[in-house]
Amino acid sequence: MEFATFADRAAAIEAEPADLEIVDLVRAVLEDADADLEIVARFVQGRVFPAWRSRTLDIGPNSCYEAIARAAGTNVGSDDVEDRLAEVGEIGEVAASYEFGGQQGLGAFTAGNDDSGSAGGAGDELTVREVFETLSELAAAEGSGSQDRKTDLLFGLFNRCSSEEARYLARLVLSEMRIGVGEGAVRDAISEAFDVPVEGVERALQVSNDYGEVARVARDEGLDGLDAMELEVGRPVQAMLAQAGTVTDALEEWEEAAVEWKYDGARIQLHHRPAESDETAPETGVFSRNMEDVTDALPEVVEYADETLEEPVILDGEVVAIDDDGAPLPFQEVLKRFRRKHDVEKVREDVTVRPVFFDCLHAGGDDLLEEPLTTRHDRLRAVLSDSDGPEVNAANIEGLSLLWRTDDPEEIESIDAEALEGGHEGIMLKNPESTYSPGRRGKHWRKRKPDVETLDCVVTGAEWGEGRRATFLGTFELSVRAGDDSEERRSSGSAVNSQTLETVGKVATGITDEKLEELTELLEPYIASEDGQEVDLEPEVVFEVGYEEIQTSPTYSSGYALRFPRFQAVRHDKDPEGADSLERLERLREA
Amino acid sequence: MFKAIVSAATLTSALDSVSVLVDECKIHLEEDGLEIRAVDPANVGMVDLSLDAAAFESYEADGGLIGVDLSRLEDIAGMAESGQLVQLELDEETRKLHIQIDGLEYTLALIDPDSIRQEPDIPDLDLPAEVILEGKDVNRSVKAADMVSDHIALGVKEADEYFYVDAEGDTDDVHLELTQEDLIDLQVGPAHSLFSLDYLKDMNKAIPSDTEVTLHLGEEFPVKIYFGFAEGQGQVTYMLAPRIQSD
Repeated sequence: MEFATFADRAAAIEAEPADLEIVDLVRAVLEDADADLEIVARFVQGRVFPAWRSRTLDIGPNSCYEAIARAAGTNVGSDDVEDRLAEVGEIGEVAASYEFGGQQGLGAFTAGNDDSGSAGGAGDELTVREVFETLSELAAAEGSGSQDRKTDLLFGLFNRCSSEEARYLARLVLSEMRIGVGEGAVRDAISEAFDVPVEGVERALQVSNDYGEVARVARDEGLDGLDAMELEVGRPVQAMLAQAGTVTDALEEWEEAAVEWKYDGARIQLHHRPAESDETAPETGVFSRNMEDVTDALPEVVEYADETLEEPVILDGEVVAIDDDGAPLPFQEVLKRFRRKHDVEKVREDVTVRPVFFDCLHAGGDDLLEEPLTTRHDRLRAVLSDSDGPEVNAANIEGLSLLWRTDDPEEIESIDAEALEGGHEGIMLKNPESTYSPGRRGKHWRKRKPDVETLDCVVTGAEWGEGRRATFLGTFELSVRAGDDSEERRSSGSAVNSQTLETVGKVATGITDEKLEELTELLEPYIASEDGQEVDLEPEVVFEVGYEEIQTSPTYSSGYALRFPRFQAVRHDKDPEGADSLERLERLREA
Repeated sequence: MFKAIVSAATLTSALDSVSVLVDECKIHLEEDGLEIRAVDPANVGMVDLSLDAAAFESYEADGGLIGVDLSRLEDIAGMAESGQLVQLELDEETRKLHIQIDGLEYTLALIDPDSIRQEPDIPDLDLPAEVILEGKDVNRSVKAADMVSDHIALGVKEADEYFYVDAEGDTDDVHLELTQEDLIDLQVGPAHSLFSLDYLKDMNKAIPSDTEVTLHLGEEFPVKIYFGFAEGQGQVTYMLAPRIQSD
């Protein structure tokens, strides 16, 4: 396809406001693309290379301005291009405002050149394929002087462009295509152009991340071909994403929840192929959530893979920075390592990272995307275990993120507490039956919503624990001040007593044994009365508690109950007068 | 098989005249000398270089082809002092070039020639005008034009028998005339073409000021720039396509 034709089609698509019409126009250009289908399917989205390839043009806007200026004519400088850009605000419009083609190529003077049509032009018409090939050459240029070489190549392209061609070339180069063609439009257009079901296209896109290849396979091999497309070790796919959610909703919708720790790290996808023989080396690739190749920045992950893995796999996980004792460090520390291109070994001494995996997309030739989470996790465990060694407890398998299945909110709370105590971010809740949907932010994976607000509650009661915890107070009764926050009340100075407090719930989770001991010491002096295990406390101590939501409830005197309350801290700085009021509770509930 | 010893100055001159256009090139290791042909990515400027075996202190080759990263090779050659000799030897097994400058040994990894841009066909041009001048006059013309414009017009006034240089800027202009007396030789013919200074400036960098330079010109045709180096045992021909003149 000539690049001029592509530019015309792109202009028509850009001018079309209706989504359905856009799909139809994309369908038409795909149908007409013939041998250049793969390229055209990417160009309409403003992509030069498949999304899974880490290759980029790596050309700065200034080099592009320079190339346009050189092609534009005598005495046009990149400053002039920039000035125009400041005026019109869009590089395509700027490129289209110049006349190109003044500089002739030597090809026009070579004997045997069929240059009859374009008198004095720089040769024959530019094709979509030539643009792609030149941009590939540009992307491959590296080392000293490569920016100049990139500019030269780009100049060569612009020099052969008409105004309309230049408009879309400039946008393509600077990743600013913006003609209103989204991924969904190309998916639908492929489906319509080659008469294959849209679900088949969608699935093939998920496993390949390559709109060009999927379009070609759909055309040449139909649905059978699409169905035969599989994950490939070494070719990253988009990561499945989570949305925010609550324990309540998760347990309502699923019979059981799969609970995992949520790591404060950077998402990685590990692709590994073991050495085929003693002579060959294993191949390992590590990719970011955006499918960027970060292998070189994370040698620990590569070493881990080479040592542990015995079959070809694609694993989903996180890379976490750890201190000398193996405890996790904040996300900022991981960032010192992630994407680093220089001094990797030096920084490795300062910040150690380790991988943790929670999902397995492919193992030993089997694509597992369609398998339920629990099956994938079992496979993951098998993959990470030493197959020759004895069966070990999952907790002792290095690099394996544990998964608990439960329908018990209390157990979920204690997993959460343990995760937080271990320095992790919290927990993930997943539907144990769910398949892996690359790139989707669905409701099958939920990060437990962080507490939006916390409440400062007065501790008005507690219970003595059982067994190991018999000497500790636990299950603390929480109360808020009745009434409002008016000045009068504040200034009256009247001591808060149990009559002016209303109960809102009990908190028993999110507290370690160590903390329980500390809290018992703190509260014991205020015990007013005891009845069996139950203890009434003088209102003296204030807890900061988190919660998922506030519900109406007949159980507590306030008429409300906190769902999933979690202990956060003792507010030593606050006395009961400073605790939150029922009025604030009601406001929070409405918010 | 390739083994040669050459003065650092000669090697540097040869490499510099190619590297102004491309970063990588193929070098033909012919029996009677080295040959390099390369064209810039936009196919606007090309270089055709030969360095005769006689330019070397010693030279043995049997027609091989290697691909090199020019800036790397230039850096290595730059390690030698001007009077020093550089020994080059190709290891056929490893496809590496061993370079020796006195005690300094350097092993340069070569590039697969197939990955380097195809060598250009040399246009067979019949250019009516020929101007022979000193390198310093070329330097001066390019420098003057560059002060006002990014393009330069080269031409010959047939009636008055002189070679001229024109450069038109947004505000300022430059005009330079060189008559028979100023030139080494002039064969008049219809000639007037406009060229990009981006290219000509780069080519000019490789032209020694004390060298005799031959320009072949036509109307709206490429210019051919020829000069020798290494006492005439090296030859460089540049060819540069013109820019269409808008008016």
